[in-house]
Amino acid sequence: MLTRNLFRRPRNKLEDAGANSMARPEIPGQLYASCPNCKAMNPAEELSRHADVCPKCQHHFRVSARRRIALTADENTFQELWPTLRGVNPIAFPDYDKKLVSAREQSNEVEAVVVGECQIGGIPACLFAMEPSFMMGSMGTAVGEKIARLFEYALEKSLPVVGFCVSGGARMQEGILSLMQMAKTTGAVKRHSDAGNLYVAVLTDPTTGGVTASFAMEGDITISEPGALIGFAGPRVIEQTIRQKLAEGFQRAEFVLEKGFVDMICDRRDLTDRIAGLLKLHRREAQE
Amino acid sequence: MFPKILIANRGEIAVRVIRACKEMGISTVAVFSEADRDALHVSLADESVCIGPAAATGSYLNMAAILSAAAVTGAPAIHPGYGLLSENPRFADLCSRCKIKFIGPSADVIRLMGDKDEARRTMREAGVPVVPGSDVVASVGQLREEAGRIGFPLLIKARAGGGGRGIRRVNSEDELERAYLAATAEAGSAFGDGAVYMEKLLEKVKHIEVQLLCDMDGSVVTLGERECSMQRRNQKLIEESPSPAVTPAVREGLLEAAAKAARAVGYEGVGTVEFLLDRDGKFYFMEMNTRLQVEHPVTEMVTGIDLVKWQIRVAAGTPIPFQQSDIKLRGHAIECRINAENPQENFRPCAGKVSLLHVPGGPWVRFDTALYQDYVIPPFYDSMIAKLIVHAPTRAEAIRKMQAALCEMVIEGVDHTGWMQAELIAERAFEDGTYTTDYLSGR
Repeated sequence: MLTRNLFRRPRNKLEDAGANSMARPEIPGQLYASCPNCKAMNPAEELSRHADVCPKCQHHFRVSARRRIALTADENTFQELWPTLRGVNPIAFPDYDKKLVSAREQSNEVEAVVVGECQIGGIPACLFAMEPSFMMGSMGTAVGEKIARLFEYALEKSLPVVGFCVSGGARMQEGILSLMQMAKTTGAVKRHSDAGNLYVAVLTDPTTGGVTASFAMEGDITISEPGALIGFAGPRVIEQTIRQKLAEGFQRAEFVLEKGFVDMICDRRDLTDRIAGLLKLHRREAQE
Repeated sequence: MFPKILIANRGEIAVRVIRACKEMGISTVAVFSEADRDALHVSLADESVCIGPAAATGSYLNMAAILSAAAVTGAPAIHPGYGLLSENPRFADLCSRCKIKFIGPSADVIRLMGDKDEARRTMREAGVPVVPGSDVVASVGQLREEAGRIGFPLLIKARAGGGGRGIRRVNSEDELERAYLAATAEAGSAFGDGAVYMEKLLEKVKHIEVQLLCDMDGSVVTLGERECSMQRRNQKLIEESPSPAVTPAVREGLLEAAAKAARAVGYEGVGTVEFLLDRDGKFYFMEMNTRLQVEHPVTEMVTGIDLVKWQIRVAAGTPIPFQQSDIKLRGHAIECRINAENPQENFRPCAGKVSLLHVPGGPWVRFDTALYQDYVIPPFYDSMIAKLIVHAPTRAEAIRKMQAALCEMVIEGVDHTGWMQAELIAERAFEDGTYTTDYLSGR
């Protein structure tokens, strides 16, 4: 074994010093992404090729609404609806205004959901995707309004709706008004459904609270991504309330599938094809 | 000049690069795996960073860890050594995206030369002779037609090839289709690219390579040739410069072809163009290695040019101050690669503690190694543990010097190939310089 500092440092000056002063390395932000599950370092391009699924452990990274739309809608077909509709601070909740400003900065979105019309596998459909980096996709008045309007728009044009849910629940800073969005969106979904239109809900990690208690669980077909947390109250709250240890994998997609609350679990890389297939099967012309 | 360089390698080559840096006043950063904590390159460098577990995939091939080490230590350049990441275009790309100078050619040139089919085509277009053969073969029909044109025996080779995989020898038409399917399948599973091409099989040939040094301004200087025909399963054992088989006329042609090859791709840094030389003195381009070679010391000995220092200088943008006419080849140099393998037991690799080490010395004897007394050779990496290089005015004297130096070299505790090499250089075929690449497989 070699001892530390065994070798002395030669007193040589740097050759042509000054002729070329080199800058320090600068690592760009989006070079690698470390997987939160297996800790593997994934090159950004490789991760992107795998639809943001870790190629090593298949962990599904949380993705933004825009990325979700890019993964799902046919290229250049997405037309956003009501892009400027935004929430205010209706009950003067302390610090909510500041929170909204920082959420908008962080997510580059004005609200926690993006809605619009597009084609999926060549079939026209309405699409909504919730934004996890905007206050964890929480549902306030604006989110409820945009989703309800999208279902009304789809009803008018007899279009199916595909919705990607990711949410921590109702937005507590808007108090009772945010809880009312549960009823409002449910009404819109019901009218859309009564007219014989298809609604495919895709539950991604996490889908909880008021969103689970309304439109997330009202799809004709409910798909989930592997490992997604799906529930109303979170596992920690339940454990503390009932003072019992919960089963392994409680509220994970696989558990929820077993209990019959979702219809299938689908890897994100196959998801668009699956959805396109379902839309094709349920086309109105196909039914007639 | 770079004030600091990270060396993304281990063993004797890491030590070699650190030595050059010390002479140039450049600070050095060593990276090491958990198994290499006590390695010489770690002690010799000014700073060191552990980059992962013993297995190279998690450490010396872990690009994210190496780039992080460069960022943390503020190293503006990375020297990749040979092997490992030295010919990985993705790593070269990542370095440039992180504003780190990869000491080697651009990612595009590495990529081009890594695609053997594309490299052949580029060289043919540049007027460099290539082994008669085909482009990528797409169907069995095309296979038969092209094979008929080339003639038997021939080789089917993977476009993405390397390490002798995806290669099949075909002696006659009957074997053709089977060999094609086997090579395609093997290449597909080994490289993820099943494309193959054909080459005429040249027998009784010599492996001759030309050393290049090119700067950013497009100056190309060739530094003579090396002969590396003493091989066992495509692994070189003994190298020498100049080659006893290369006449001045052939040398002129070889150096010119190599310079053409470098200009054709806009080469930068040190590189090597490998050729096959047949008995009639005809030579054919085989491949280009876009890095420093293991056997670079023999060229250093006969040219007096420190290749590693020049590699670093041209990477930093220094123009080459000498011209082709300034390059004079003096005397003869021979190198033996000492591998920790047992020649008696089919070259089984050997690891363990070096219980006694005596390094041969004397004038014009060079011993490049990362060994030291009581060092424990880890079992995870390449088995080459040292390189013994000698230089003398004539080839005969160089052989005598190598013979004496090999006998003075003592590495106890592990098996090594030194004895076998002492026997090989005493054989008639080596002495008269007629040995070819199949010399060792013929017995």
